[in-house]
Amino acid sequence: MADEFGQQMVALLPNLRRFAISLCRSRDIADDLVQTTCEKALANHSSYKPGTRMDAWLFRILRNSWIDRVRRNRTEGHAVEIDDANALIGQDGQTVTEARLTLDETAKSIAALPDDQREVLLLVCVESLSYREASEVLDVPIGTVMSRLARARKKISEDMGIDAEVKRSNDKEGFRT
Amino acid sequence: MTERDFSDETLMAFADGELSADKQKAVEEAIEKDERLANRVAGFIESRSMAQNALKPLLDEPVPADLKAKIEEMVGTETNVTALPRRHASTPVRRWAMPLAASLALVVGGLGGYLAGTSTTDQPAQVALDAVNQPEIITALNTASSGSETDLGASGLFRAIASYSDANNTLCREFEIDRVDRSTIVAVACRSDADWKYRFTVFAGQSNSGYAPASSLEALDAYLNAVGASEPMSVEAEAAALEAIRQ
Repeated sequence: MADEFGQQMVALLPNLRRFAISLCRSRDIADDLVQTTCEKALANHSSYKPGTRMDAWLFRILRNSWIDRVRRNRTEGHAVEIDDANALIGQDGQTVTEARLTLDETAKSIAALPDDQREVLLLVCVESLSYREASEVLDVPIGTVMSRLARARKKISEDMGIDAEVKRSNDKEGFRT
Repeated sequence: MTERDFSDETLMAFADGELSADKQKAVEEAIEKDERLANRVAGFIESRSMAQNALKPLLDEPVPADLKAKIEEMVGTETNVTALPRRHASTPVRRWAMPLAASLALVVGGLGGYLAGTSTTDQPAQVALDAVNQPEIITALNTASSGSETDLGASGLFRAIASYSDANNTLCREFEIDRVDRSTIVAVACRSDADWKYRFTVFAGQSNSGYAPASSLEALDAYLNAVGASEPMSVEAEAAALEAIRQ
């Protein structure tokens, strides 16, 4: 049981790392965060319910660790603002092509989203969690997941110039952030 | 139905397949009649795949080797006994990327007399505790600090792993010996009546890595847990303890 649990966790490392990089926008901090997450996961192994999505369970631990860290740094008076617009751009050494540039632009647009919108976009659109699963990871109602997600996606569409309908469809929200 | 009846959230949920069947149908019907509505849905479908594609390279990025090694080490030392401290996690000397060694066998005679099983139900009963009688191993136990390796010549390579005291405050040392035949012995010896006595020995079979495979370490962890071993001593505490026995 423990072996299988461990193996699954190791298999999810790339996903955990991607989520971590997206949250904190720094590879170094992200790796640290992933390690903390795995330590906590092993220590609290028994609170994982078999049959549920392990990635969602780990994302929740990871996100809580990140929030703890931000809070602790704030009380200690450290600056935690890491504004690296390029942090979400993959470092796989691929040749720069037109398509790749578009990906990079989208990644920058995602990196620039407010934190609460970016994390929900990550969970639903990138990691394919359901709205309910995302709401459990984030500890917010499903309605909140949906409104943040919709705003995030419209912003990306707008940044990437793919949605001519954006302005007009805004009337439902009345304002934009 | 007019477009105004559908919020962004509803159209997005439609694009994501998150609507209930009846709402799904209502949106479907409306889309057929209203191209602008269809465009809004298309926008949400597109933004999803854009986000997915944009962050795909992050997933393909190799996990840094040291991070991966750390996690694998954590996982490798994890046993079914969740209360077990992962005492090896902090011992940098360990590198057990080895899969479980099929050749793992427990030493029954010869080197030590103690038989330990991989199950925690095995009691560390006081059975035939053989004294360490090879002078070069005694010297190494008396002097080598944990983390160091000592060449024992024909007896192989001695690797001091950690020192701790058991529930009776007896000084114990965990060590490994890589024998010339490429097998590795994992052992714990404790100080008793001015002698070192084997408390635990596992013959870890042949390994190419030179390090004991994980399965023998699980047995060891179970053993250490059962005898109430302390956390590994600090470098200073160990040095003081070894100094004391040499006097």
